[in-house]
Amino acid sequence: MSIYLQFLLIGIGTGVIIGALAIGLTLSFRASGVINFGHGAIATYVTYVFVEMRNHGEYPVPPLPNPLAIAAGIAGWFGLHFDAPDLPTIIDVGEGTSIPTAIAVAMATAVLLGLAAHFLVFRPLRYAPATAKVVASIGMLLTLQAVVVLRFGSQAKHAEALLPDTTVSIAGTLIPRDRFILLALLLAVTLVLWIAFRFTRFGIATRAAAENEEVATLLGYSADFQAAVSWVVASVVAGGVGILVAPITGVSPGRMTLLIVPAVAAALVGAFSSFWTSALVGVGIGMAQSLIFILEQRQDWVPDLDLAEILPLAVIAVAMAARGDAVPGRGAVGSERLPLAYADRIRPVPVALFVLAVLAASIWLPFEYRNGINNSLIGIILALSLVVVTGFVGQVSLAQVALSGIAAFGLGSYVAEAGIPFILGFPLAIATSALFGLVVGMLALRSRGPSLAIITLGAGIAIEAVLFRRDGWFGTSRRARADAPELFGIELGSASEFFLGDDKRPSPAIGVLILAVAVAACVFVSLLRRSPTGRQMLAVRANERAAAAAGVDIARIKLTAFVTGAALAGAAGGLKAAQLGSFQSDTFGWTASLVLIAYAYLGGISTVSGALWTGTLVGAGIGTVVGEELIVLGRYETYIAGTFLIAELAFDADGIAGSTRRLNRYVAKKCRALLNPRALPSAPIGSAP
Amino acid sequence: MTLLDIDGLSAGYDGVPVVRDLSLHVGAGEVVTLLGPNGAGKTTTLRAVSGLVARLKGDITVLGGPVPRLRRAHEVARRGVAHVPEGRGVLGQLTVRENLVLGARRGRPDFDKALAYFPALAPLMERKAALLSGGEQKMLVMGRAILSEPRLLLIDELSLGLAPLIFAQLLPVVRQVVADTGAGALLVEQYAELALSYSDRAYVLSHGDLVLSGPASQLLADRSRLDAAYLGSEDIVPRDAP
Repeated sequence: MSIYLQFLLIGIGTGVIIGALAIGLTLSFRASGVINFGHGAIATYVTYVFVEMRNHGEYPVPPLPNPLAIAAGIAGWFGLHFDAPDLPTIIDVGEGTSIPTAIAVAMATAVLLGLAAHFLVFRPLRYAPATAKVVASIGMLLTLQAVVVLRFGSQAKHAEALLPDTTVSIAGTLIPRDRFILLALLLAVTLVLWIAFRFTRFGIATRAAAENEEVATLLGYSADFQAAVSWVVASVVAGGVGILVAPITGVSPGRMTLLIVPAVAAALVGAFSSFWTSALVGVGIGMAQSLIFILEQRQDWVPDLDLAEILPLAVIAVAMAARGDAVPGRGAVGSERLPLAYADRIRPVPVALFVLAVLAASIWLPFEYRNGINNSLIGIILALSLVVVTGFVGQVSLAQVALSGIAAFGLGSYVAEAGIPFILGFPLAIATSALFGLVVGMLALRSRGPSLAIITLGAGIAIEAVLFRRDGWFGTSRRARADAPELFGIELGSASEFFLGDDKRPSPAIGVLILAVAVAACVFVSLLRRSPTGRQMLAVRANERAAAAAGVDIARIKLTAFVTGAALAGAAGGLKAAQLGSFQSDTFGWTASLVLIAYAYLGGISTVSGALWTGTLVGAGIGTVVGEELIVLGRYETYIAGTFLIAELAFDADGIAGSTRRLNRYVAKKCRALLNPRALPSAPIGSAP
Repeated sequence: MTLLDIDGLSAGYDGVPVVRDLSLHVGAGEVVTLLGPNGAGKTTTLRAVSGLVARLKGDITVLGGPVPRLRRAHEVARRGVAHVPEGRGVLGQLTVRENLVLGARRGRPDFDKALAYFPALAPLMERKAALLSGGEQKMLVMGRAILSEPRLLLIDELSLGLAPLIFAQLLPVVRQVVADTGAGALLVEQYAELALSYSDRAYVLSHGDLVLSGPASQLLADRSRLDAAYLGSEDIVPRDAP
């Protein structure tokens, strides 16, 4: 018995950091109406700053790629090789500093991060749709994560214990004393925040600003200032607790960053407004996870189902079910602007030329390029699945990669286990994904914006934990296998023979298959955008109530979008499985979904041309390959993408596709004006029609 | 003393003016009403004064200074302007007491200052503002404005959504506050008669243009001109108006 009590109490350690993150989420939600998925990353970064200062006396500055790197890349084309040095990005203060100095520096960094999150990311996005804010916070997560990996490496580091490492004896078991100190600290912070928000004018004004920014402004309170302070406090609490908990959880790029999921669950129970509930539920989740872990090890009656990982999702599900739309709304000055969803024209000649060029490239270019093109084409199909769900209907989905994984595992099983030929197995796999998409879509019927982001994130994690990592039709604990696709007796796998090219892997055969599906998907989504259903989707995105009043069946449109999106994701997943031949569950892990939506917004979330950009940019795609070959920016990829994503969202949210279109039109207009000065446009560019 | 001086103001949204070339002023101890039908630009004018709508042309001097840009709009209130927005403007998730605390802005709030005008609020102090009736919410918003010790009151459609009887009870309070504190008030109204009977002067807007102005008593006496302004008669509305 005592070991269970011991594990339960030891779990307070992780529980405290979950609770601290949950408090921070509540604070920043009140400040900016955003669920900050990057909050855990802030804690991670601050903790690393502390560890580096303490151990080596080095202060890490976010890495900037040296502009000379581009020159080095271009020189490389002409056979000149020189390495552009990285800009000095570490301030070295000699030996490891004292603990107070290191803490002070780390806390100052936390303050700066909080201010940066407010002033550089979320204040510019005040009038952006909720979906764009969620994506921006994911962009922040990815950027910070990339910085941490670039600066500190992905190896876990040792953190020194600041709290006494003695133990106390409770009911005959020894429990580390630090757990109780941490708990007391968290409760103290919660108490202070509760008092501040309940009784001080500043706290009341912050609540007022969260409810109605305009009224708060008219009363003489700067919503901006209130928000900045909340961000700083949230960031300092996360960083401070992070430093103290680091010896317990370990310092690695992922550990605290990913605790954001249980933290979101805890904050959700507190409806993003109660500090006490958020903190206590957070601690409870940490304790329960620890207890479940030991129960799974020791007790036969407990199924070994990774329940600890699923627990936050169960909490989310219960909270959502009990409260309906559990994330409170928030009033803001101004109206939101949605990304432009123009209909791409299908022009047969350019499309044919493009297809031929890709075909030629995937036959004759060297390995890296062929592989990059295949990755990009699959990325395009995945991006299209988000274009339908998020771009057209405005429903954020963080489960698309998981949905594609269903088809990937499914296809392998259908062909290898059930002996179904590829020509039937591939559509069947797509249908399976679509079926799961229908289930996710049903969850979406009753929630939107940040709530939906949480639900779909949970669905993605659940699919990964329950299906992919478990032996069965849709997962394996080892490596999954997918046979080379065979159509009409012709093998189209990565290693199949092809009558042209150099017979090296990846074979152009798989390239042809992927290209065909990608082109079909692009044409399909273009046609969907122009169809009556597509127009109804845009209507739902713009205003659900108005759309319903105009006779649009909201439920039908949302379900159609989720099923269509899941089918597209399934097609991408099936192709991915065929391309890889053998793969592991983490190929379709939930973080991949976060990365996907970030890139999809960067490319352009609501157009087919945006999906083409997304595919080009997506990790290990052709953009990366060219970037690595020509310009030495490869390792900065996620970092640069995350930064650009936030900038793009703040600027116009139309993505690269929207920006290039605007540029094209501008240039075309200028050219016309030059050629034919009398046909000058009467209205200035950019003015309302 | 002039508290508010609007000179040749054009203001609107996305570069399209809603109000054109408006000039008006409000002095200390004065109640001025801005009248006009729906869409005349009355609310836009008030919002421009509070810095919530950008000016396209013209100048606004409010309590001795220009209107700051949107990001610093809260400074207008700190200067001593109390703007009661259209609708109810209560913070529904806060209690009555918390709403009043925000009105006072600094120091210990002297609730009696508001409760003297609206004794009906006294037993409701701990209730969430969202749970008050429409009339009570209006009283709360007015009380909150009074607690900020304003030198200039901007009140947008006090009558909106209220029974005429309650509206008729609130108007004398405005008059009383102005008399007690020496502040000025600019009321925006659609319902002319009652508002005019408590005002010193009035301006009438139609489709964004100033069509009529003068002492309230004069406007009340000459109803035909007022009606014409509302209904858009040829005599009064400028020819170039849309």
